[in-house]
Amino acid sequence: MKSEELKNQEYKYGFTTEIENFKAPKGLSEKTIRFISEVKKEPKWMLDWRLKAFNRLKVLKEPNWQKPKYPKINYQDLYYYSAPKSMKDKPKSLDDVDPKLIETYNKLGIPLKEQKRLSGVAVDAVFDSVSVATTFKGELDKKGIIFCPISEAIQKHPDLVKKYLGSVIPLSDHYFATLNSAVFTDGSFVYIPPNTRCPMELSTYFRINASETGQFERTLIIADKGSYVSYLEGCTAPMRDENQLHAANVELVALDDAEIKYSTVQNWYPGDKDGVGGIYNFVTKRGACRGRNSKISWTQVETGSAITWKYPSCILQGDNSVGEFYSIAITNNYQKADTGTKMIHLGKNTKSKIISKGISAGQADNTYRGLVDIGPKAKNSRNYTQCDSLLMGNKCGAHTVPYLRNKNSSSTIEHEATTSKINEDQLFYCNQRGLNQEEAVSLIVNGFCKEVLQQLPMEFAVEAQKLVSISLEGSVG
Amino acid sequence: MEQLFNIDFKRINSSNDKESEDRKKNFELFLKEGFPNKKNENWKFSDLNYIITKNFKNITNNVDYKFHEKIESIHDFDHNKVILVNGSLKSSDLNFEEKGKVKIETLKSLEGFHHQLNNNLDYLNKALSIGGFNLEVQQNYKCKKPIIIYNYFTANLDNKIINNTNKIKVSQNSELTLIEYNISEKSKFIKNTFEKINIDRGAVLKNIVLQRTKCNGYFYKSISGIQDFNSSYQNFILSSGLKFNKIEIDMILKKEKSSCHILSGLNLSKEEHQEIKTQINHLAPNCKSYQKIKNVLESDSKGVYQGKIFVKDIAQKTDAYQLSKALILNDQAEFNAKPELEIYADDVKCSHGSSSGSLDEEAIHYLMTRGIELKAAKKLLIKGFLNEIFENIPEEKIRTFLEKSIAVQIDEIQ
Repeated sequence: MKSEELKNQEYKYGFTTEIENFKAPKGLSEKTIRFISEVKKEPKWMLDWRLKAFNRLKVLKEPNWQKPKYPKINYQDLYYYSAPKSMKDKPKSLDDVDPKLIETYNKLGIPLKEQKRLSGVAVDAVFDSVSVATTFKGELDKKGIIFCPISEAIQKHPDLVKKYLGSVIPLSDHYFATLNSAVFTDGSFVYIPPNTRCPMELSTYFRINASETGQFERTLIIADKGSYVSYLEGCTAPMRDENQLHAANVELVALDDAEIKYSTVQNWYPGDKDGVGGIYNFVTKRGACRGRNSKISWTQVETGSAITWKYPSCILQGDNSVGEFYSIAITNNYQKADTGTKMIHLGKNTKSKIISKGISAGQADNTYRGLVDIGPKAKNSRNYTQCDSLLMGNKCGAHTVPYLRNKNSSSTIEHEATTSKINEDQLFYCNQRGLNQEEAVSLIVNGFCKEVLQQLPMEFAVEAQKLVSISLEGSVG
Repeated sequence: MEQLFNIDFKRINSSNDKESEDRKKNFELFLKEGFPNKKNENWKFSDLNYIITKNFKNITNNVDYKFHEKIESIHDFDHNKVILVNGSLKSSDLNFEEKGKVKIETLKSLEGFHHQLNNNLDYLNKALSIGGFNLEVQQNYKCKKPIIIYNYFTANLDNKIINNTNKIKVSQNSELTLIEYNISEKSKFIKNTFEKINIDRGAVLKNIVLQRTKCNGYFYKSISGIQDFNSSYQNFILSSGLKFNKIEIDMILKKEKSSCHILSGLNLSKEEHQEIKTQINHLAPNCKSYQKIKNVLESDSKGVYQGKIFVKDIAQKTDAYQLSKALILNDQAEFNAKPELEIYADDVKCSHGSSSGSLDEEAIHYLMTRGIELKAAKKLLIKGFLNEIFENIPEEKIRTFLEKSIAVQIDEIQ
């Protein structure tokens, strides 16, 4: 089908309502990209941008240096766009949902209404959380904060999108980032105007139409001069998701005196006990501290996915800018995680801090891989890195691969890492006080992760703590 | 790559036709990829291809081993003498030891060097190796005095390449202290050495490497060793003064209770590039490894440390430690580190630390308030920084000698 024909066809159906159950042609091709752009009514510059990425993709090779290996992905066998599911396809009630999933929800203490939303049960408009969202929306509008799906931003705020999209993760970046640039479907767009403090934690949860953003999510957050925003991504509850490959791109831009706090809790399907199935989470996250005194802080709790492969990074361009990375990665059964960060110091007096906690159990493999690069012009810069690994059993692995580069005499890099198992004495102490083995381990592990957990926004932190315990269930003994 | 070399295979001794055939084959294999460059993960921080092509052209193999002068030997402590000239064994004097207990001879056969293909330089070595020495200490014999290998390089080595292959075997319950002392004239040459070490049950090998003066050499050395039950290996790497020096150590702790210590104190000055890469493989329980790498970087020097601790799932109770510290004294200097842990056993104590930065301002201030001038204060701190390495050498006479030779270098710091 030629693009011309395609256009006609769409016109015929009109795609705001009829689009349900409408899928892009299978496979990765120019046609697919034109289709996605068409469906989203994108302006020409956006389509050109996508096609440029696609052309670049043709010469790029899939990276293979990472520790977790995966079977080759057939990119021609994927659907790159499918419209949100209609009510008909969704489970009718919670009775139709996998009881295991419900069990986890109950353990996390998620209210019934929310359980329905998460498991994709068709919900009545009355039950939907839209009303909450609209109240928030009004408050944001008052302050001039833009928070909308990126596809909407492309229509309504093309200047901002044009200026910043791809400015942190360029088109010609690595394979998965470029793939995302070519075929991304939706994601969040946030713009905080100068000298504004965003009055609430922004979360995909409150974004209308947030469900099923698809496997190629694109997020762009811009904090203008003197502003502050805290953004939450994901959810502690396991998400139902049919897509195996997730290659999202997240770009953050902080201008002078601005601060962005980005928190992630990722708990996608990790595959079953034997390591069958599960999501590949290959995400590119990068933030640029463009302005003086700017700050970007990444916090992540990674407990899900069969393979997690991501390095949320900070490019510290502005003088006195600060980059932070707090991470907990928990792998159990056959899960694999290769995660860490990059702190690239370019401006003077830049500071970065990395706290990484890795926990492996079962047959899992957990790698911290990070780069700290202090350039020759980044005078008086500082980095502090701490990565601790906890091993449970001798079938799992914990690895630390830091790259440290210091190119000037006034800067300091400090790195330390330890690997150990849970202290027998601590366990014994807990047992003595009446905690059973599992409770004791959960308590100790939570203590091990405390430094990172306390970086999370309050309501998230409580849930994340529970999640940490649940993720390790069955690994003790 | 081909035009970089001008190798005369006829002048390399091969014991038979097959060997000379193999040499040519290996050389072709080497030419396919050439010298390793930074695309290779192990050479990420040291682009050897760039360094060699920038500094060398028309590289030929050395055929001249003539030597007439008298080598100025070390008088600070008694020792056995072994002299190598341009990598070839010239003479040995093992007078302090009982007869027949320590053997050293020219290594002829390259057997046992076949399985270790870790980089392309291995092909080059197999193609052009002139052998080296084969050192063996008999069972239950503890060497009375250290052996010093005077590794002498003559003045006519410009644009030459020397490929060496050495073997060291320390048999059951024996002990050896081996000091490698490099002396070279002003010529600019490449040396590519592969060394194999076997440390048997209960044996101890102490290895010290140092360089007498600054030199224009571009050295690569790969040391691979296997350690048996309760054996001990200690390697002290001290300032080389070479333009380029990469030492790659791959130790396998194969049996229980073996221990491996690698300590290095380097003081790098103008146009020097030094890399230490280690891989300690813990394959058995209850082993210990300890690495401490210290670098002082001046001028536009570049220091690199890549270390890896691998712990196999059965290697419980492993105690492994890795520390790299660098003092960067000049903005042109650079320090890169990649301290890596790969651990599959849970009941272990593994940690690493790495830091790089300048001298502690407060410490300098403290010293200056006590009437020590800035320059002297800095030197004192540098000395203190490096001295920590020497403290681990138990033999007092050797320690004093090493401290003395480092002190001379520190005095040269501007």
